[in-house]
Amino acid sequence: MRHIVKPLLRHRMMPLLVVLQVALACAIACNALFLLQQKLVPIVTPDGVGHPGRLIVAWNIAPRGNPWPPATLRQTATELHAIPGVVSASLATSWPMETEAQLNATVVADGKGIKASAAIYIGDHLLDTLGLRLLAGRDFSAGEDALVYKGAGLHTDGPTIITQALARRLFPGGDALGKVVRIGDQANAARRTVVGVVAHLMRNEFGQDDREDVDYSMLFPGTASNWPIPIFGVRVRSTAEAAGVRKAMKAVVQRELGPDMIQGIDPAYESYGDMRERMLAQPKAAVWLLSGVSMIVLLVTVVGIMGLTSYWVQQRTRQIGVRRALGARRGNILRDVQLENLLVVGAGILLGMALAYAINLWLMQRYELTRLPWTYLPYGALLMLLLGQLAVLSPALRAARVPPVVATRSV
Amino acid sequence: MLDYYLRLALSRCRQNVPMVLLLVLTMAVGIAACMTAMTIFRALSGAPLPGVSPHLYVATMDAREAVDQDSPDYKRPDSLLKLADAKALVDAHRAVQQVAVAQSLTQIGQPDGSQSAQAYGLMAYGPALQAFGVPLRYGRPWTEAEQASNAPVIVIDTEVAQKLFGTKNAVGRSVMLGRHRFRVIGVSAPWHPRVQMFDVQHDQGTVMGQAMMFFVPAQASLDAGVGPFLAGECGKDAAVASFQSTQVAQCRWMEAWVRLDTPAQLDAYGPFLAGYANAQHDAGRFVYPPQAKLYGTQAWLALNHVVPDDVHLNMMLAGGFLLLCLVNVAGLLAARFLRRQGDVAIRRALGASKRDVFVQHLVETGLLGLIGGVLALPLTWLGLWIVRMQPVSYAAAAQFSAGVFVILFGLSVGVGLLVGILPAWRVCRLPPALQIKLA
Repeated sequence: MRHIVKPLLRHRMMPLLVVLQVALACAIACNALFLLQQKLVPIVTPDGVGHPGRLIVAWNIAPRGNPWPPATLRQTATELHAIPGVVSASLATSWPMETEAQLNATVVADGKGIKASAAIYIGDHLLDTLGLRLLAGRDFSAGEDALVYKGAGLHTDGPTIITQALARRLFPGGDALGKVVRIGDQANAARRTVVGVVAHLMRNEFGQDDREDVDYSMLFPGTASNWPIPIFGVRVRSTAEAAGVRKAMKAVVQRELGPDMIQGIDPAYESYGDMRERMLAQPKAAVWLLSGVSMIVLLVTVVGIMGLTSYWVQQRTRQIGVRRALGARRGNILRDVQLENLLVVGAGILLGMALAYAINLWLMQRYELTRLPWTYLPYGALLMLLLGQLAVLSPALRAARVPPVVATRSV
Repeated sequence: MLDYYLRLALSRCRQNVPMVLLLVLTMAVGIAACMTAMTIFRALSGAPLPGVSPHLYVATMDAREAVDQDSPDYKRPDSLLKLADAKALVDAHRAVQQVAVAQSLTQIGQPDGSQSAQAYGLMAYGPALQAFGVPLRYGRPWTEAEQASNAPVIVIDTEVAQKLFGTKNAVGRSVMLGRHRFRVIGVSAPWHPRVQMFDVQHDQGTVMGQAMMFFVPAQASLDAGVGPFLAGECGKDAAVASFQSTQVAQCRWMEAWVRLDTPAQLDAYGPFLAGYANAQHDAGRFVYPPQAKLYGTQAWLALNHVVPDDVHLNMMLAGGFLLLCLVNVAGLLAARFLRRQGDVAIRRALGASKRDVFVQHLVETGLLGLIGGVLALPLTWLGLWIVRMQPVSYAAAAQFSAGVFVILFGLSVGVGLLVGILPAWRVCRLPPALQIKLA
């Protein structure tokens, strides 16, 4: 060991440069991969919506002046349902993959006090129209769906359907059915009784605060009053009929609501699949960028280690020759160079991990980021050590090939 | 001498082309990544209105007139005011300039209906054009008398003028705004803030400033049936007014901007604003303590996260990446130089001073840096093109400009010299006798 450490200490520049490179690469790659993982959450989490191609959504419907009365909107929804090929039609306040209107609330498990931030979708026949998978309980009844709230509906008691993730969070280790969720943490907050649990339903805004959060959603039946931007969704029987239904849908909405719409803002009639693509395009782009950067960072580091080590080996050709002449085997030389690399890269990793953590802490203070999980560190360290060994392989083999006769050559 | 060093550097580059390629490519990738991120950062982080917005401040206060049970706390500074409060602040004339504005989106047409244009614009109380430094091409802004008498006058921009009248000088013509006929008294040059700065609290995801194509006194516009794009906060009891409503008497929908040029003016205006707000609270109008505060434009945009965090994070990522590339190149250069200790020793023995050797090596690294910069140019262009293709709100900011080119040039030479310092210093440190022996 001594014969490896000593030269490193005597000729400090080369090992120091490698340490510095590894540390920087470690710090950058750890933070980039952490950001990447956060961007991946909405892409890989199931959104719960069945057959995205069969769901058509009309949104960006903005009234000039006062909002439409619920009766007018209900009438429009009824007419949408009457379009041939439509299986289910909904009128809602907000919609997955659409952030123009959002309803989010801190919800509390009644009696237990466990809190969570959840997205709330209010509308009729949402379970069928969204094509959600009901795991337990029941859908809302026709009577519940027919309800018209005085306001948005957040202050009214009633039934609710929640996602499994939210159920597990609010009522850990127990059945959520029949339990009560309070909408808000005030004493007079509305009480919603859980009547159903669905597998998944993504919230319409993906924050970066908590990983599980993205699947915390609730459904309320009924129709909100005074809601400025209503959204209509229809589910069609087959994808083949989608184009025709979309056209008919546009005609109905224009006929019923067109005269009172804002001039210059046109409603969008899109398939849910397209909305999802558009919404996820940004995180996807970020994933490509971050993975590209991480790859290049690691590549640059490998090349750098390779370049420096081969010089370092070349410098010591004569010493290696002497050691070979004194009886060291090729394997000994190979292992020595590899061990030396392990030491130097290890030192770089230690420094890099500290740096990665410091950067993460600093970023956390300034931006909406969460703490870098500890689990990143061993994986990152292992990856860097492997890359270091990979980079040193070719110079180490060259060192091992140095013939003992070099020792006897001119001085 | 420099010329000789350059030739020396070139001939050495030719000796080991793969190595040189690796060096300049590493530098080029680092520089290009940094330049791409910096271009976007520069476009978005500067003053929204260069020369003007650094002196502009927006007034914020908790101006709610009814108890709000859902959110009794004043968590985030609020810039929206009722027209009455906005008028009071503007009419007080306590700043260098003051104006209250709200954005609107409407159709502007010829009186006979033959031509019309969809236009974003500002409804204003006060001298909006002067306060925001909007350049006027023809005509004049409205006067206080015109504003006081609710005269139907309007300033449109050259693009609307061109579209409606086929000429840029539309002063004296009439346009239809809502139900009324407005006289065009001025034509402004196309104008937009570089970054969105109006009503940023309600604005989600818009980063680039919207072009404002008309400017109109607020009351005259309301009279004509054209309201603000968003009616803002309208109290719990009032009917929910939403878009383009003129029923805004109960709503907080205007933002008051003031221009303050000196710290003394700023110090004096703060207490005035607080005094006004507290008086409203004491009179029972504002139900909560108003906590009135002025925000500079930049601070206001930062507070409301107008520029996405991603822009800052990418800038840091790119900066870190460039640093890594620099360390990498410095290491490779050190190896490259130290391999040639023999040559250096001979030069030293023949009388070259340490300084000469140092300069010679710096010239070589500077040259490499320059080549790296030249290679970084297309790479930066490519990077910006990729960003423009992305579905991000700031894609339009990724434009190559002369400023970018100058920074890139400076950066590449700077990088070349910086990475050369350590290796060049190392190579000239050994005494010549020892160097010859080593060789």
